[in-house]
Amino acid sequence: MHPAFSVIFFTVASGAGFGLFVLLYLADLFHLGGGLTADANALAGLLAICFVGGGLLSSTFHLANPKNAWRAFTRWRTSWLAREGVFAVAFFPFAVLYLVLAWLDVARDLRLVLGFFACLFAWATLFSTGMIYACLKTIRQWNTPLVPAAYMVLGHFSGAMILLVIALYSGAAFLPYEVLALALLISAAFIKAIYYFWVMRPYGSTINTATGFTRGKVRLLDTGHTHGTFLTREFGFQVRAGTRLLLKAGFFLFATGLPLTMLAQGQALQAQSAFAAMVCVLLGLVLERWLFFAEARHVVNLFHGAQRT
Amino acid sequence: MRLGLVIDLDVCVGCHACAVACKEWNASGTTGPLSDYDPYGAEPSGVWFNRIRHYEIGEYPNSKTINFPMSCMHCEDADCVTVCPTGASYKRAEDGIVLVDQNKCMGCNYCSWACPYGARELDRSSGTMKKCTLCIDRIYDQDLPVEERQPACVLTCPAHARMFGDLDDPGSAVSAAVRERGGYQLLPELGYNPTNHYLPPRKPKPIPSGESGHGVMAKVKKLVNRVVRR
Amino acid sequence: MNAEVKVENHARQDIKYSTCYMCACRCGIKVTLEDGKVRFIQGNRDHPTNQGVLCAKGSAGIMKQYSAAKLAQPLIRKPGSERGEGVFEVIAWDQALDMLTERLQEIRATDPSKLAFFTGRDQMQALTGLWAQQFGTPNWSAHGGFCSVNMAVAGLYSVGFSFWEFGAPDWDYAKYFILWGVAEDHSSNPIKIGLEKLKRGGGKFVSVNPVRTGYSAIADEWIPIKPGMDGLFALSIVHVLLTRELFDYDFLARYTNATWLVIDRPGHASHGLFLRDEEGQPLIWDMERERFVNGLAADIAPAMFGEYVAPDGSKVKTVFTLTVERYLDERYAPANVAAACGVSAETIERLAVEMAHVAFKDAVELPIAWTDVWGRKHDKVVGRPVAMYAMRGISAHSNGFHACRAIHLIQMLLGALDGPGNFRARAPYPKPIPPHQLPENNLDIINAPNTPLSRPPLGFPTRPEDLVVDEFGNPLRIDKAYSWEAPFSAHGLMHMVITNATNHDPYAIDTLILFMANMAWNSSMNTKNIQDMLREKDPEEPGQYKIPFLVVVDAFHSEMVNFADLVLPDTTYLERHDCISLLDRPISEPDAAADAIRYPLVDTGRDVRPWQEVMVELASRLKFPAFTNKDGTRKFRNYPDFIINYQRSPGVGFLAGWRGKDGESSLYGEPNPKQWEKYIENQSFFAHHWPDGQKYMRYINRDYLEEAVRAGFVGKVEPIIMQIYSEPMQKFRLAGQGLYDGPQPKDPADRERLAKYFDPLPMWYEPLEQQRVDDEEYPFFALTQRPMFMYHSWDSQNVWLRQIMAQNYLYMNAARAASMGIKDYDWVWVESHNGKIRCQVKTMEGTQEDTVWTWNAIGKQKGTWGLDPDASEATKGFLLNHLISELLPEKQGERRITNSDPISGQAAWFDLKVKVYKAAAGESGSWPQFPQVRRLPADRASRPEVLRYDARGHEKN
Repeated sequence: MHPAFSVIFFTVASGAGFGLFVLLYLADLFHLGGGLTADANALAGLLAICFVGGGLLSSTFHLANPKNAWRAFTRWRTSWLAREGVFAVAFFPFAVLYLVLAWLDVARDLRLVLGFFACLFAWATLFSTGMIYACLKTIRQWNTPLVPAAYMVLGHFSGAMILLVIALYSGAAFLPYEVLALALLISAAFIKAIYYFWVMRPYGSTINTATGFTRGKVRLLDTGHTHGTFLTREFGFQVRAGTRLLLKAGFFLFATGLPLTMLAQGQALQAQSAFAAMVCVLLGLVLERWLFFAEARHVVNLFHGAQRT
Repeated sequence: MRLGLVIDLDVCVGCHACAVACKEWNASGTTGPLSDYDPYGAEPSGVWFNRIRHYEIGEYPNSKTINFPMSCMHCEDADCVTVCPTGASYKRAEDGIVLVDQNKCMGCNYCSWACPYGARELDRSSGTMKKCTLCIDRIYDQDLPVEERQPACVLTCPAHARMFGDLDDPGSAVSAAVRERGGYQLLPELGYNPTNHYLPPRKPKPIPSGESGHGVMAKVKKLVNRVVRR
Repeated sequence: MNAEVKVENHARQDIKYSTCYMCACRCGIKVTLEDGKVRFIQGNRDHPTNQGVLCAKGSAGIMKQYSAAKLAQPLIRKPGSERGEGVFEVIAWDQALDMLTERLQEIRATDPSKLAFFTGRDQMQALTGLWAQQFGTPNWSAHGGFCSVNMAVAGLYSVGFSFWEFGAPDWDYAKYFILWGVAEDHSSNPIKIGLEKLKRGGGKFVSVNPVRTGYSAIADEWIPIKPGMDGLFALSIVHVLLTRELFDYDFLARYTNATWLVIDRPGHASHGLFLRDEEGQPLIWDMERERFVNGLAADIAPAMFGEYVAPDGSKVKTVFTLTVERYLDERYAPANVAAACGVSAETIERLAVEMAHVAFKDAVELPIAWTDVWGRKHDKVVGRPVAMYAMRGISAHSNGFHACRAIHLIQMLLGALDGPGNFRARAPYPKPIPPHQLPENNLDIINAPNTPLSRPPLGFPTRPEDLVVDEFGNPLRIDKAYSWEAPFSAHGLMHMVITNATNHDPYAIDTLILFMANMAWNSSMNTKNIQDMLREKDPEEPGQYKIPFLVVVDAFHSEMVNFADLVLPDTTYLERHDCISLLDRPISEPDAAADAIRYPLVDTGRDVRPWQEVMVELASRLKFPAFTNKDGTRKFRNYPDFIINYQRSPGVGFLAGWRGKDGESSLYGEPNPKQWEKYIENQSFFAHHWPDGQKYMRYINRDYLEEAVRAGFVGKVEPIIMQIYSEPMQKFRLAGQGLYDGPQPKDPADRERLAKYFDPLPMWYEPLEQQRVDDEEYPFFALTQRPMFMYHSWDSQNVWLRQIMAQNYLYMNAARAASMGIKDYDWVWVESHNGKIRCQVKTMEGTQEDTVWTWNAIGKQKGTWGLDPDASEATKGFLLNHLISELLPEKQGERRITNSDPISGQAAWFDLKVKVYKAAAGESGSWPQFPQVRRLPADRASRPEVLRYDARGHEKN
């Protein structure tokens, strides 16, 4: 699949935003490290809102006919894309009210209830984003529960990294945040490792099942058009095996390896290091997301000559 | 009712007549125009509802060339419809035709991702997804002669490799063809239950070739005159 | 439910019927117009040719109509500019016609042969031929010389009808069908309709073709033969049939010359000629009367085999005895030809037996009563349901005439001609073998100023006296047709015109008119050099070109237009009157004689005129007798007037339908002033359906032949006896051997060719060019074909069709390519004895190992056909033509000889041998490249970056 920048940015940013918000809320709820200052809390909340909002906005950039974008909420009963939109939009009022009450430090119970609902919507949105891809039977690399799981984990992981940086800068007792980030880092590495292992295993549709000629070797003679079509542009993207390997290594290096060395410092962690680790993670996630799209092979490619996806 | 096409791979010569007739009808049809990009330039391309691919099965000299027309399969379980967030994509309850409401589509491409058959193409000029309508503006046009109330591709196919009909009706010609010729669906494992079916190449019945005349050269000397009056 | 569906507003629409011209198939079309714009073009269900279907080209007619390449105004090469620079000025029609008239008047009044008029893919040769004849020049033909003349001539000298236009397989009854070397674009819709019918009925389809695409894709059996070997393969089938005595004895005895007697007097002028009586009738040995009797008479019992002694003491043998002696020879045994053909001996043997099985064990009997030409009544028709069709793969070789005759020999042995399930004739065929029409060769008439030829420039010679040469044997035609170099060149040799005219060989001409022929590009062999020839100046006439004046008539901006001195812009097929006549290349089907018309459906919106209209105008201005009244006034107002009122012979005119004053008469009758209206009323075509009793065996079907005489198809009711053994061939062979009692060639090269190739029985020989190039150095056969969705060079301007193919590749057998280290999309050099090109490779399974091929005429010169200069057709597309020479490789001591079939003059562009090797790193793009052609001054066509054609836009906006 063509790795469109707008979609990569959207998923990474909104994932981080939702993750950040959820963790922020949990930190509030459980007084993690004694709780963040109101300023830090507000900053983190604002960042989360910006990430989510910016991401959502950028997702509309790839629409060919954005004037109809408002209709995208109508089919929430069947469409994960619609659900994502509905949940994301539902998230905002709760999240904003929660943050306002937190900033004003009033009505704690109400705040926590509002925050709880915001979290639910954040989770639902994150899950929906994953399901947008996972529900597609046409793309075997996506059609797995590992995808929404990874979206959830990676979103929380990147959120945790941001939260850790804020905790460090705000002078909070950051160790619990560091532990949280570390735990999520391990989960992220684990789930992506499983995913990458799983995705390498060839299975599913082939050019034979696509054409119905299952007894002999089938090869494409001609696609019936000399130059590109919507289909070749949208689905024809291919990434070389070497590049794929490099990107995977890049993901593990940036999103897990380098941050790990920093998070392993425990109490000695400096704010600058945490910041660098956070940047590494976000960069790693961009690589991960790029590969997530680039590596996905739509079955329509079988009709264009691919032996399997 | 479940309207769709049956395509006979035994006789499709890959002439692209269906694709062009489709383009021609639909360019001025309900979802037209169908944009053509860089039409006079280096790399012409455009929006088509119907594309013909060509494959080779097996190896020389026993290879067989297969011409393979593809358009929307009007699937029974059409994920392109369920994934559509705006409701622009819909499947008509009365006849199973899958359509895109051009007034609702926001051009997110998501339906095309859900379609395994490459049946949907985005028109960049209108910003909307376009696809085979099964020539709905022909098949229900009471002003057309009855025999012309068929999709343009079916009407035009010089090898009569395309049939249109109700796959729900066991008595229809299309259902009979699928039954008798072992018609199959593409990518059945994905579970879309496409309405369109493909008929595989026929197996020719063998012609006795063991017989011989007199067989031996020496017998030629025996070639004798017969009285044949004229 | 239906209420939701928005359908068209038919009130705004007009339905009109016409005839397609996106290729030479000439299908019936139903055109829906809305506010003068073309909404939809579909097949006409009632039309005999396409029965409602329509191919990709036909449906893409809209985009041809709205092509950016349409010429808009007459143009003249700007004074002072050089030919081929493409610098033109607009000129008014009146001025252009005055200028041309003056020039033609001068030529006609001095030396009419100095006008050469050659036409490409036109469908009105009856008119262009008449025009040339009336002008008085022998220098006219259409493009058949590089298309299908081998098929036409081999058929017309063998069975009285022929492959391509003059016959068609009987799809209703055929059970076994062999398609020989048919490129994808041929006989577009009828073959597709037919193959489906055949396969639905359980018939077997065998394709003999080095390439498995298109029709061959759906063959039940594919025979990947080596190019040029079809004749040998066919004769090996003949061997098997004869060896196993699998032939139709009765058919051969009754309807062929198998029983005619051939004189066996080696070294004598009568050797190899038929034994004839005093009236010139061929004799047979009557087994009951035990004497020689007229072989054309009724109630005879001819001997099929045997050697007899003629009254004058010479030995005579039956044709079939010679046939059997020839083909039983072991050199035709499957095992001995298998390697050369690339087909296993078992396969050859099996195919022969299969077709014989179907012919004899699976015969069709129809309870149809008919009467033969001898007056005997038959109560049934028996069909041997084996049908064949053959085209380019046979015709474009220099051994194609014989290969085609070999195929006809198989048909004759199986008794499978014009019966149910056979290859059947289409009216006006069958005709006498060969048709009784000789080319004009009277030097006095040809040279006479202001005098029409006494007969058409083209015809069918039967003896050396019929050649169009002077008393020294020099050709009288600029293309050297009907010279010793190509005696049966019944379609001319258009591919030689530019070369010969440039070399002033046999003489210089003044004006060359080319109509719809892209001779500066894909329609010429040796394209690059041909372009140079067109630019070549005459050293003896300073400032003048070797071809002094070049008139190009075309509707579109082709490569040829660029070389014109005068461009006359034609109309499209939706803009003009046309007729597809039985005098010409009709649309008849085996079961119906048919013709068709076109009439203007849309306005031109440009300053263009139909060429046929211009021809009638010029003919009137030049006062051609056939176009002028006794009082000197013009006879025909315009083309439509000419078409209904001109009569070739009393009662026979261009259109056969609704003749007679009241329009009640079919095929013949007085002119009908309302004939166009009747055609338009009847969906623009006319079909005369033959009654059952006239549908089959028409070569000896009395009722049919009587009708054919009335319609002017044949001269008289007489049996048309198929010629296994061709006496006209033998006469030319005798001339080559120095034995002929009449003209003989002087040049040893001609003598050798005649002696060698004018075999009266079908033969096989290595294609001529291949005899002269090194197989080791050039190991690949190189072929071209056109895709089904494009016709010649026409369709790259079509913005829908060019999306399907905007670049061609060189296709190679995958395993063979791999063995040479060549992969898909590699750039390679392809080199022949004549030149080299660079192109891009694609590999495939379905190509014979020793063959490479490509799609023809995709490659374009930059700036032509209304395309942007960077169109991939121009930057990556390529022509194989550069590699093909119009002349055979030079041979010491021999004059340069055309690279054509030595009998028919058919351009031998499939004889090409090449080598292929990888281009160096960094070498990419097609080569050679040509200068970019300039945009024409009158070109105001819009070329939007996004085209959104919508005939119904007004309804939606």
